[in-house]
Amino acid sequence: MFRQHVRKNLTAYCHDELAPVEARRIAEHILVCQRCRSEYEAIKLGVALMRELPAAHAPETIWPQLEAALAQQTEQASSDATQATTEQSRPVHIADTQATAHTTRRFALFASWPRVAAVSCAALVVACLVGGWYYLRPDAPSWEVARLAGAPQIGRERIGERGQLAVGEWLETDNNSRAQISVAHIGEVEVEPQTRIRLVETRPTEHRLELARGTMHARIWAPPRLFFVDTPSAVAADLGCAYTLEVDDHGRGLLHVTTGYVALERGARESIVPAGAACATAPGTGPGTPFFEDASDDFLHALAAFDFKQGGDTALKTVLTEARVRDTLTLWHLLPRVDGDERARVYERLAQLSPPPEGVTRDGVLRLDEQMLKQWKDELENRWLPESFPAVRKAWRNLWQ
Amino acid sequence: METVALMSDRQIETDVIAACQRGDREAFRLLFETYKDRVYSIALYFFGGNEAQASDITQQVFLKLFTKIGQFRSEAEFTTWLYRLTTNACVDEQRKVRRLSQLEETFMADEVRVAEAQEAGLARRETAARVKSAVAELKPKLRVAILLKYFEGLSYEEMAAALGCSKGTVASRLNRGHKALARRLQDLRGLLQQGD
Repeated sequence: MFRQHVRKNLTAYCHDELAPVEARRIAEHILVCQRCRSEYEAIKLGVALMRELPAAHAPETIWPQLEAALAQQTEQASSDATQATTEQSRPVHIADTQATAHTTRRFALFASWPRVAAVSCAALVVACLVGGWYYLRPDAPSWEVARLAGAPQIGRERIGERGQLAVGEWLETDNNSRAQISVAHIGEVEVEPQTRIRLVETRPTEHRLELARGTMHARIWAPPRLFFVDTPSAVAADLGCAYTLEVDDHGRGLLHVTTGYVALERGARESIVPAGAACATAPGTGPGTPFFEDASDDFLHALAAFDFKQGGDTALKTVLTEARVRDTLTLWHLLPRVDGDERARVYERLAQLSPPPEGVTRDGVLRLDEQMLKQWKDELENRWLPESFPAVRKAWRNLWQ
Repeated sequence: METVALMSDRQIETDVIAACQRGDREAFRLLFETYKDRVYSIALYFFGGNEAQASDITQQVFLKLFTKIGQFRSEAEFTTWLYRLTTNACVDEQRKVRRLSQLEETFMADEVRVAEAQEAGLARRETAARVKSAVAELKPKLRVAILLKYFEGLSYEEMAAALGCSKGTVASRLNRGHKALARRLQDLRGLLQQGD
């Protein structure tokens, strides 16, 4: 794989100019090749920078100046034509001259008001048709949707076996419907019954869905932070993975990651959720603390109470007592979410389950020293992923960083 | 419906161009209104935001277009022709005005702008100003390729036709252009990510 670096095609990849097979090959290569990934990051930055440039509007003064220049040119051409006919010189210009002389006659005809009105109406119709085409043109960004069961709808229309989900459109499934969305060339999303989901944006540097309610399963094989899902209470940022995301009628969500990592974010609050773990989210609070689903029932109930029901000290005490080594995922995330004595207690329990590496001090952690927290997290990650995937773990860690 | 829309558009374009070839002033105006902002944007960013120069180039391009429209062959893609006129006009103009003193002036202005931007917390408008300056410093061939991509949304094939080169060359110029921008504006990475 490393013999076939993909640097030459990275911009084409960003601009969606490649065949799906080639695009997928590049996406997979970037995941494992540091050199190509660095180059990809640079080009991605270049693309993002260019998108900061707004389109400009030509000043209104250009047209009058252009008209004047055209008129002047026409007069000059007519004069030259007369001279040329007289002197029979430069016959090569006669065709142009005839055209411009014809132009002059045409311009003169515009002095008639009814004709002006008629031509204006015709121009208006043409402009409307051009405008209509502009909005309906086939290359408007859209993703393919395949019906898996029942009768999924895009907007108000039921799709057949396949349909196109354009930017801004909603895909909805009823009790018996399921659908599969092809996410550009970077993955797939399966949409479960009773789900409402919208394509917010699709461009080389960002693909974004909005899950208003229901359940979706995503499988993404792109580099990190290319695919996002907005929910009413948090944004799920893909870090290269497979996951399930559910949103209920109250806007509460639950993320369950099956491979890789997903970041659940809202403002400055972020939960990193690795494979095998889950994280709840709620309006007003944002992402809760991530946890492994095989934790004890007491642990899970206490954590839910702590995150969303103001469970306070009692809930925290249960979480700390029930925590296993693997639950250091939860404890590490709790550190910045509590303070004072509570943070000290979380630290003590975390250190008891997995002592901090050299260079990470109690004081540093309690004052939330970013470098120390990161160093400890790197160490703890070994406890969060199954031992059978050491290479995967290493790759994901590199991507994270 | 899409096919109908496409056919209609082709028909409209052909009709409008045919009307221009007959000297129809309103058809000229319609073509101008349709394409003026795109031509102007390319020229504006090609010359680092110089509005006067962009206006001159826009006028020059349309004047040439209207004068030569009789030579337009309907089988050729009209927009390809238009963008070729635009890019040639930009490159020719730059050859005329390129002087060392102007480069120095631009460079100094950028320094001031960077310093101001950093102090002001790098607002979005200032980010755009820095991108604009960085684009203006790219080699003309890379600059034109990038501007055609972002302001016209042309495919690589269309760009190759407009620039008179192969798709591979287009890809290579875009690669180099994006990397050069990223190198120069590396410090904006964090800011753009926050914007996400």
